[in-house]
Amino acid sequence: MTLSVALGPDTQEGTRTGTAESTDSLTAPDIPWNLVIWNDPVNLMSYVSYVFQSYFGYSESKANKLMMEVHKKGRSIVASGSKEQVERHAVAMHGFGLWATVEKASGGNNGNSGGGQGKGKRG
Amino acid sequence: MAKAFKYGLKGITGYLEPAERDLLRSLIHDVISMLQPEDRDGQDPLAALIGLDMDVAEPSDRAVKRLLPNVMKDDAGASLEFRQLTERSLRETKIGALRAAALDLDKDEIVLTPDAARHWSMALNDVRLVLAERLDIQDEEDAEHVHLMQDWSQAEDVESYLALVYNFATWLQESLVQAMLQSMESRR
Repeated sequence: MTLSVALGPDTQEGTRTGTAESTDSLTAPDIPWNLVIWNDPVNLMSYVSYVFQSYFGYSESKANKLMMEVHKKGRSIVASGSKEQVERHAVAMHGFGLWATVEKASGGNNGNSGGGQGKGKRG
Repeated sequence: MAKAFKYGLKGITGYLEPAERDLLRSLIHDVISMLQPEDRDGQDPLAALIGLDMDVAEPSDRAVKRLLPNVMKDDAGASLEFRQLTERSLRETKIGALRAAALDLDKDEIVLTPDAARHWSMALNDVRLVLAERLDIQDEEDAEHVHLMQDWSQAEDVESYLALVYNFATWLQESLVQAMLQSMESRR
């Protein structure tokens, strides 16, 4: 992602923790697919956060946290659900111009399952 | 000179010079023409009506592929199947947003409702994605390099001109998104 103006202090990763993130104990069986957003050098950080807030209804802090994870780790799981649900999200993300893919939640070999619903915080 | 978008009593407002509006209009029309589905003879009209496209293929043009990416990273077959079901309507969504933004360019002063602002942000993003492919922006370093190009008097070849246009679109989108975030904040 790219940044054309300085971000405000509240966009720093991990400055706030919302209740939505306290779901570490949630397990995978009933949520078999993930929506993954990939980093790219074009999309603005502010725009990615706007999309997460306006489309998924995420709080500003959650949207910024996921956005920073995409930016720093190269990808982030931003939603989970049935295959149909995440595919619908993927089309919406493509509509916004974000680089989104879907994958099985238990893929195992993707090397990065940080972030997203039910995964808790890392780093 | 264009004025940055801002959020105020009238909603989200911005101002563009006639030359800047002409530039944006032509960029938008370029992207629309890349996204326009081909009319093929013999296509099932009912399939077309409900958005199915069984003859669709993964785009060969890199910029088009960035606008219409594969839905699965390592499964070309499943991605193609998904394209058959969704690509036509995705193209139409994008063209709809681009056309809406182009219509708003008919006035000097731009006043945007939340929906219109969303269309604008999507349109500017697609314009930037296409310019970025043409400029071969592959990573953050390339993006930094292009970002350094800010002086119109330095524009001496196609690439430097494209870089300036890209930076203008970036600046405009950033100011728009900041105004949209403020507007969203005030409605919470």
